[in-house]
Amino acid sequence: MDLPEDLPRREFCKAAVAAGGASALSACLGRAPRAKNPVPSGVEDPSTLPDRQYAWNDRVRTDDRGNTALPRHQTLLYLTLDRSGPPTTGDRETVETALRTLDRAYERSNEGLVYSIAYSPSYFERFDADLPEDIDLPQPRRLSPFEEPTLDTQDALLHLASDRADALLEAEEALTGERSEANGITVETKLTAAMTVDDRRTGFVGAGMPAERQHGLNGVPDSNPVPEESPLFMGFKAGFAGNQATEDYVTIDSGPFAGGTTKHVANIRQRLDDWYVEQDYDERVMEMFSPAHAENGLVSGVGANLGADSGIDEFVDAIREHASEYGRVGHAQKAARANRDEAGNVRLLRRHFESTDDDIASLHFPSLQRGITAFEEVREAMNGQDLTDNPAIRQRVNNGILEYIFTEHRGNFLVVPRRHRALPTPRPA
Amino acid sequence: MKRRNVLRAGAGLVGTAGLAGCGLLETEQRSVRSPPLVEDRPDAVYYPTHVEGMEMVGSASAGEYEVAAMYSYPHRFWTVTGSEANITEIQSGDAMHLMATVWDPETGLVLPETGLDVVLRKDGELVSEEVIYPMLSQPMGFHYGANFEGDGDGSYAVEINVGAVPGDGVRTTGDFDGRFAEPGSATIEFDYSEATKNEISYEELDNAGETGALEPMDMEMLPNSTAPAQTDLPGEVRGTATTGDANLVVSVLESPPAGIEASGQYLAVSARTPHNRMIVPAMSLAGTLTRGDSEVFADTLTRTLDPDLNYHYGAVVDSVESGDTLSLQVETPPQVARHEGYETAFLDMPDAEVTL
Repeated sequence: MDLPEDLPRREFCKAAVAAGGASALSACLGRAPRAKNPVPSGVEDPSTLPDRQYAWNDRVRTDDRGNTALPRHQTLLYLTLDRSGPPTTGDRETVETALRTLDRAYERSNEGLVYSIAYSPSYFERFDADLPEDIDLPQPRRLSPFEEPTLDTQDALLHLASDRADALLEAEEALTGERSEANGITVETKLTAAMTVDDRRTGFVGAGMPAERQHGLNGVPDSNPVPEESPLFMGFKAGFAGNQATEDYVTIDSGPFAGGTTKHVANIRQRLDDWYVEQDYDERVMEMFSPAHAENGLVSGVGANLGADSGIDEFVDAIREHASEYGRVGHAQKAARANRDEAGNVRLLRRHFESTDDDIASLHFPSLQRGITAFEEVREAMNGQDLTDNPAIRQRVNNGILEYIFTEHRGNFLVVPRRHRALPTPRPA
Repeated sequence: MKRRNVLRAGAGLVGTAGLAGCGLLETEQRSVRSPPLVEDRPDAVYYPTHVEGMEMVGSASAGEYEVAAMYSYPHRFWTVTGSEANITEIQSGDAMHLMATVWDPETGLVLPETGLDVVLRKDGELVSEEVIYPMLSQPMGFHYGANFEGDGDGSYAVEINVGAVPGDGVRTTGDFDGRFAEPGSATIEFDYSEATKNEISYEELDNAGETGALEPMDMEMLPNSTAPAQTDLPGEVRGTATTGDANLVVSVLESPPAGIEASGQYLAVSARTPHNRMIVPAMSLAGTLTRGDSEVFADTLTRTLDPDLNYHYGAVVDSVESGDTLSLQVETPPQVARHEGYETAFLDMPDAEVTL
C-alpha cells in the first residue's frame, strides 16, 4: 500500500480506511498503537443487544446542541450471496456467526463499532414468497428527470461505522477472513464464506475532515475553499436534530419486520467549482437553506449558530415568493415540503457522509424511513421541477444545489430487525 | 458510443464572408485572452469585440435526442438570474469553451430548456463534470456551454447527459406531445490538443459596439436555432411587438395545437433576436387581450415546444378579433446566459402593445 508517510495520524488512518486491506490496517495500527488506546470490547451475549440495528443515536457522540455526530469513519460493503436461489441454513449460520464475532469484539458505540445489515428487493426475489404487503421496498429507480444512476441490486448492504479507523478496518478484515482475531476475539467464520464483497465504498464525516482531504481532490476547486470547521465538503453543517426523523419514527412497528426500517442509499458526485467560485457566501446560503436565510443573516460560518434546527420550516410556504423575488430557491426549503407528515413530524432520518473514493469528492447518502416511498417523495420535492414554471428556476440551476451534485448510484434495502439479520426469508417466523 | 474524427470546423463554419462586410480589424491566433469590452455598450444587441470559430467534436444519438459537441477558446459570458446579468470571467485554468447543441432528429428543431450536463474524461479518467448553461450567442444562437479546465493534450471523451424537458415549466404540443420526458446520454470521443485549438480562427472587429449582430454560422452538421420566418409561422401573423430589442411575433391559430385540451383560438408569441431571428427562450411572459374597454383575456403565455410553431409562448383564447389590443408583459426576462453582444439586450423589457 502506498500511503504518504508525512500525513498526521488521524488523516493517515482515514486514508487507510479508503485504501482498505491488511496492509492498510497494519499501517494504521503502526501509527496508533492499540496498547495505548484500546478499543472497548463487545458483549458476551449478543442477544442482549437491541433489535433495531440502526439504533445508533444513543451509542454515538452528541454535540453541545443535541445534534447526533455520526462516527467519523464509515464503510459500505455491498454483498452478493454466493449461490443462486434462496440461502441455506448453512449460509445463515455463517452470516450469524460472522456478525456475532463483531458483537463480541467491539462495544456497540462510536468508540467500538456500530453497524447494520440490510437486504435488497433483489435478495427477496430469491424466494417464492413475497414480502408482507405493508413493507414498502420497491426496486431502486431513477428519481429525477435528469439522472441515470447505476442501480445497486446486490443482495445486501453491510454498513460499518466507528470513530476508530483501526477498529473499522479490523472488523472488515475479520469479515473477509484476512485476520483470525478481532479485538482479541477469535474469528470462527468469515462472512465471505457465504457472501462476496461486490463493492466497497468508504467515507468520513466530521469537522475538519473534508478540509484535510480537499487538496488536489477532483471536484473541489484548487483554491481549497472548504472551511476547516465544516463537517461536509459543501461548507455547511447538515442533519440538525430538529430536521431529522427520530429512530422511533422511522421504525416499522408491526409484522415480522417490526423493529426494522427501510434504507435508501445514493452515491452522489460533487462538483464544487461553480459552488465556490461562481457563487458568493450569501448565494450559497440561499441555495443550501433558503433565500430568507441569507436575507435575514440567519447563518454564519458553517451554520453551527443554527443550533439544533435549521429553521427551514418557517420558509417552506414562501418558496414561490422566493423564486420570484430572488430567482433562486433553497435545497432544504424544497425538500422540507415533502419531509413532514401531517402532524409536522420529519419523515426521513438522513445519515450521509463524505467520500474521496477514486480521488473524487462524493457523498454517500443513506436515508432511513418507514417506507421507500417517503424517500422518493422527498427527492421529488427536492427536484423542484414544479417550480420551473418560473424560468429563473431551471431544471438544475438556481434550483437548490442540483447544479453541483450528480447521482451515480441508488439502492434500496430493508434493515431487518436483529433477530432476522442472517439472510431472512420474506416471511420470517 | 460513436467515434468521429475531429472535424476542422473553424475555417468553414464561421460566415467569414458575412463578416467581411462588418469590417475586420485583424486576424490572429489567440488563446485565452479577450479584448476589453467596448465602453458604453448599447442596451441592445451589438457587435462584440471579436469573433471566434470553433472545432467540431462530433454528434451522436442520445435516446430520443440528437446531440453535438464543439469547443472554442474560453469565453467570458454572462449568466442571468432574474433581471441581472453577471459576468463569468475566464479563469486561469480554463482550457476551452465547451458547447453542446440538442435537437430533435425528426424535425431538426433545436431544443432549449433541457437540463444538460457534460462529463469530460481523458484516457478514461474523470477530468470534469458540470451542468452547463443554456446560452445565446450571435453566431450559434441558442446552445449550451461553459468553460472547462482540461488536462492537456490527449484522447478525451465527452459524455453529454440531456435532462428531460421539465413538464411543469414547458409544454409540448403537436407531434412533440409526450416527448422529451426522459433523459438521454451519449459519449463522443475526440482528440484534443492545444495546438489544434490555437488554429481556431480568431478575429477582432472594428465595428465592435455598434448595434447589429454577426451572421449565424453556417453549420453543415448542425441545425441552428432560427425561429420560423413570419411567412412560415402557422396561423395568421397579426403583428409584432418589440421590447428589450427582442421581436415578439404574434400569430393567431384557429385552434390550439394537439395536446392542449381546450377549445378556442390559439395565441402564439414567437420571440426572436433582431438581425438573425434566433429563438429567445425561457422568459416568463404574460398577455392581456383587450377589446374596446373590456379585457377578454389575461394570463400567462406558456413556454411551449411545438414542431410547427417551434419554441413559443402560447395560450388558448376564446377569439381574437380585428382591432383587439394585445399587451405583453415580460415578468422575467430570458433566463439564458449570454455571449458578448447579447448581454445588454433582452433584460430591461417594458410592457409592449400590439394591435391585432
